[in-house]
Amino acid sequence: MPDWVRPVAEYILKEGLKETLRMAGLAVAGSAVIGILLGTLLTIRFLPSRALIRLYVEVWRGLPIIVTIFLIFFALPSLDIRFSAFQAATIGLVLWGSAQVAEATRGAVESIPREQHEAAAALGFGWVGRHVNVILPQALRRLLPSMVGLLVNVIQNTTIAAIIGVAEVLETGNRSVERLTFTSFESHAFEIFAGVMAIFFIISFPLTRLAAYLERRLI
Amino acid sequence: MTLAAIDWDFIVDNLPELLAGLRRTLVVATIGIAGAFLVGLVLGAARAHRIPVVSQLAAVYVEVIRNTPILVQIFFLFFGLPQLGIRLSPFVTAWLSVLIWGGAYNTENFRAGFEAVPRRFREAALALGFTPRRTFVNVTLPIGGRIALAPSINTYISVLKNTSLLTAIGYAELTNVSRSISAVTFKDAEMLLVVAVTYLAIVWTLSALIRLLEARLALPRTA
Repeated sequence: MPDWVRPVAEYILKEGLKETLRMAGLAVAGSAVIGILLGTLLTIRFLPSRALIRLYVEVWRGLPIIVTIFLIFFALPSLDIRFSAFQAATIGLVLWGSAQVAEATRGAVESIPREQHEAAAALGFGWVGRHVNVILPQALRRLLPSMVGLLVNVIQNTTIAAIIGVAEVLETGNRSVERLTFTSFESHAFEIFAGVMAIFFIISFPLTRLAAYLERRLI
Repeated sequence: MTLAAIDWDFIVDNLPELLAGLRRTLVVATIGIAGAFLVGLVLGAARAHRIPVVSQLAAVYVEVIRNTPILVQIFFLFFGLPQLGIRLSPFVTAWLSVLIWGGAYNTENFRAGFEAVPRRFREAALALGFTPRRTFVNVTLPIGGRIALAPSINTYISVLKNTSLLTAIGYAELTNVSRSISAVTFKDAEMLLVVAVTYLAIVWTLSALIRLLEARLALPRTA
């Protein structure tokens, strides 16, 4: 193995991968909490709340994630709201992810048969108790494959944070290419970006298989 | 910053440049979408009909593209390939990267569409003396293509949105133009609002088109 490989691999895996996974974990957790809440509320037939949540979903699903992240990172400071690059990227991913989850949750909640609502209501559950104890546990089961799919997409989309300078996997790869170009006049960009692709493939492939398996099992 | 604080004159002054960026976004997206359609059609058919070698190679292509981030694919094409003596211009990298990405997703859309065509339809066509090729053109394609239509338009919308990532390699599409203008004027909010509204207008129009086409091209219930 050539001399340059070891420090580059250590930098990408120890620094970059840690940031990627930290951001992906936070973004998926945030997306799940906000998305499930909004998706459940979306099933209530109350026009103003539905219209607002619809707007939220359509805007953050419709915008390219990079534009959302740019809005948070570059445009919000003119309102005196400032975030670090890591925070801005994570919030951008949560806005996008929660819109996806909200849409999926609405579908899952609406797919639960009416009788389940009626039976829970007959047992004396209110709206909140009915949803928390009866409807959502069943809906979440149906939601599981798309949540795994979301995890894959979020992990891949963390690379967009590289554009605003977050030192995740892609950006640590970039910096390694630049450093090697300066120090040895050989960028090794081919090997490094192929390596970065391999890292994402190794993480994503088992997860997409898992999502496909869950889809077959649970439906 | 309230709505009143937005510098509208500034936006108007920079409109020609922004429109040039939008034009590049649309050109790259159009090439990418047309290419993704052809790749998806051909490889989707090869996958659905299990054509030896082509089907396996297509499966590898689909899995590699779908399980790696498109931004890394862009960097690989633009910064990695020159090491092998393959130098692509930003424009070629732009349309090629979204084409390769969209083609992989579309292969899956068309494969699923073709495989959803009931077996008995194909058997009926073959029994009527259609050659396998005519069976595909006259039976599998019209039915499976319609099943694949909505998911493939979703892929085309993603292709268009993904062109915004080309700002990372300095290709002067809409997002990149807006950043370049902001870099010298510090009017980040104005520029990004214009860009966001433009993307939403295009994406929402295309989404509405899907709903229209779905209603228009829906398969009869008694298929």
